[in-house]
Amino acid sequence: MQFGRGKPSAGAFYDSDFTTIDEVLAVGLLNGLQGKNDCRVAIVTMSRPNLAVCGYIDMVERYYRGSAGNFAQVPPIGMRTTGQPGETSAAFTVPFASKKRVNPVKTVIDTGDPNTLFRNYLQAQYDQNGFFILAGPATNLAAALEFRGMKELIAAKMKYLVAALPERNIKADVAAAKKVLAEWPTPVYVVGEDIGTAIEFPGASIDKEFAANSPENPFSDAYKAYKPMPYNAPSWAMAATLYAGRPKEGYFKASEPGTITVRDDGKLGFTASAQGRHQMLSVDPAQKDKVLQAYIDLTSAKPVFPQRFRPPVADDKKADDKKSDVKKIIEEKPQ
Amino acid sequence: MITRKALPRRTFLRGIGTAAIGLPFLDAMSPAMAATTKSPVRMAFFYVPNGMIMDAWNPSYEGAFQELPRTLKPLEPFKDDMLQIGNLTHNTGRALLDGAGDHGRCSGSYLTGIQVKKSLVEIKNGISFDQIVANEIGKQTRFPSLELGMEDARQAGDCDSGYSCAYTNNLAWRSETQPLPPTLDPRALFERMFGSGQPMTPAERARQSKYRRSILDYVTDDTHKLETSLGPTDRRKLDEYLSSIREVERQIERAEKDNQQIDPHMDKPYGVPADFAEHFRMMSNMVAIAFQADQTRIVTFLMTREGSSRPYRELGIPDGHHPLTHHRNQAELMEKVRVINQYHVQQFASIVEKLKSTKEGDGTLLDNSMLVYGAGLSDPNAHLHEDLPTIIVGKGGNYFKTGRRVLARRETPMCNLFLTMMDRMGLHVENFGDSTGRLDGLDLA
Repeated sequence: MQFGRGKPSAGAFYDSDFTTIDEVLAVGLLNGLQGKNDCRVAIVTMSRPNLAVCGYIDMVERYYRGSAGNFAQVPPIGMRTTGQPGETSAAFTVPFASKKRVNPVKTVIDTGDPNTLFRNYLQAQYDQNGFFILAGPATNLAAALEFRGMKELIAAKMKYLVAALPERNIKADVAAAKKVLAEWPTPVYVVGEDIGTAIEFPGASIDKEFAANSPENPFSDAYKAYKPMPYNAPSWAMAATLYAGRPKEGYFKASEPGTITVRDDGKLGFTASAQGRHQMLSVDPAQKDKVLQAYIDLTSAKPVFPQRFRPPVADDKKADDKKSDVKKIIEEKPQ
Repeated sequence: MITRKALPRRTFLRGIGTAAIGLPFLDAMSPAMAATTKSPVRMAFFYVPNGMIMDAWNPSYEGAFQELPRTLKPLEPFKDDMLQIGNLTHNTGRALLDGAGDHGRCSGSYLTGIQVKKSLVEIKNGISFDQIVANEIGKQTRFPSLELGMEDARQAGDCDSGYSCAYTNNLAWRSETQPLPPTLDPRALFERMFGSGQPMTPAERARQSKYRRSILDYVTDDTHKLETSLGPTDRRKLDEYLSSIREVERQIERAEKDNQQIDPHMDKPYGVPADFAEHFRMMSNMVAIAFQADQTRIVTFLMTREGSSRPYRELGIPDGHHPLTHHRNQAELMEKVRVINQYHVQQFASIVEKLKSTKEGDGTLLDNSMLVYGAGLSDPNAHLHEDLPTIIVGKGGNYFKTGRRVLARRETPMCNLFLTMMDRMGLHVENFGDSTGRLDGLDLA
């Protein structure tokens, strides 16, 4: 939370079902971006009811946030409580073999309701000073659009949504993906099937850069437990996160504006139009090495604990610090 | 055939002048052989400022109460009547881009669930939920609600980092711009409750004082008439009730006498005792009488104002409460705050005891009440607005499953509890403040 020091870096909201190691590493990458003052991690939410996975993600968040201090909360991980819990990869349990790590999630009480968290932490953002990252099925985000006053709050506070939508994520909840693409009130950038497979996170970095930069990191054990080593990991979630935190860096190419639709078979369609709010992201071969380097550097970086006072974002110093009338937004939209 | 005519529920003992004393629920008020009359549900909020030392508030367990944590120890005799709720949050108390001023925000939004406007002159909040209930059921009682306090009723000035004192010194809000200032003076409350509904004028008060007459003296004729029509149980009940009124009156007289002698410069109304515990006892005794006589069903009680720097010399603590709560984890300061926290609970326990010892229908007045005791901050050193200290004492009309600690999911809005309480007060509201639904798992079902 900032106190009279100008507009802070953008608030980041990350939602995933955490079924792949890519979606886990992306949390590290997001926190790495925070360490560079490219964003502030607001909340992380999860779209399946799995306490073991939620506990691991909570532990990761605490690794980056440190303990709560003056005027600083450690928010819970938002977890959907309906639907199927899905598989629990060893990636989420093996890291707790280290006695240094404690699983803070024992029951559903230790988690938060995603919509409540979205609402509460959206209210804490300056207007047009945040972004959502969707790195899994669109279930939680579709539900958010039905929540009292949320669509208007998102429109007021968020600059854009970056959605990692390989077929796997779409097929997990086709209706939700359709709804989000049709109704999300901000520009939407979509990471399709191609990026994730074209740029794979290099598993070799786990025993090199990760071991050197942050030996206590919670990812190395998880990565090794996820699949037999050596392997590289497709990077849909990491690509979406990197673009969200640094959209002007030129890591990926953005298509012309248009409208992206979801077909029943889980495939995406794109129709160009000047008024469209959607853009497809694609690989820029010239940037591939730069992207990989960013993946490694940011995800393996040591935690930089959130500070009460952070410098304003360089390119946004003159931006208006606008604040919407949140009460009005909530009250004027009956459920 | 039974033909006895029931005494109306809203019977008053009236007398010379403005005296009007409501009656407790008597057997004579139930028609013979009729089904048992359902007692009304009452609710009261007792607010304490500056958060708590949470390690002495939260037990380490969930479920049925075992050993109570230190701060709650004074409520040990009543733990079977008590429900502790963890993890309730007031997001609207947080900065939300408004910077410093957690104390002003947290008390301002406590019963409204609205982010208050940071201003000294342009006051803007929302209607508090007690007043929504009062608007609905208040016409059934003499007073739609009572607003009480013990410390400071200033309505203007800066009480916290640019937040008007209107936010720290009021809990109840009739509208988004109109707070309902608390009554601090026991004498004023007494006269309001047992007189015309308004405090006496100085001339009236002087006349009564000159002849050293009790309010009960004014209604002697009515009392005698009523007694002749009552059975022995009702006569005893009436006698106890009138004695409790007389006792409060004596306490007020003593306080006024003491004030004249020892503290001529005290910045308090004439009838306010210097002693915190004595002051609370007098005010809370009148709350008990007001509930017993169904004069009101809604009370908000600001035990001390948010951000209060009151010292507690009676406990050997000369430091201000608020500065102490910024303890920076220093053990000595934290210990003093724990002592203050427990002292407040100890006072609160006195009204719990009073309601529990007052019979009503087949149970007690406490069974038909919801006394919420809590604070707008949890950890005051960190100014946290989640896991707000919250207990409900009383079963709310045989509804709450008490004797245990329940934990809501983290970040659950406090306003969800308010929706549940509104249900208990007979008012179904879909949304209030930042509610996301009702609070499940509190009831006996």
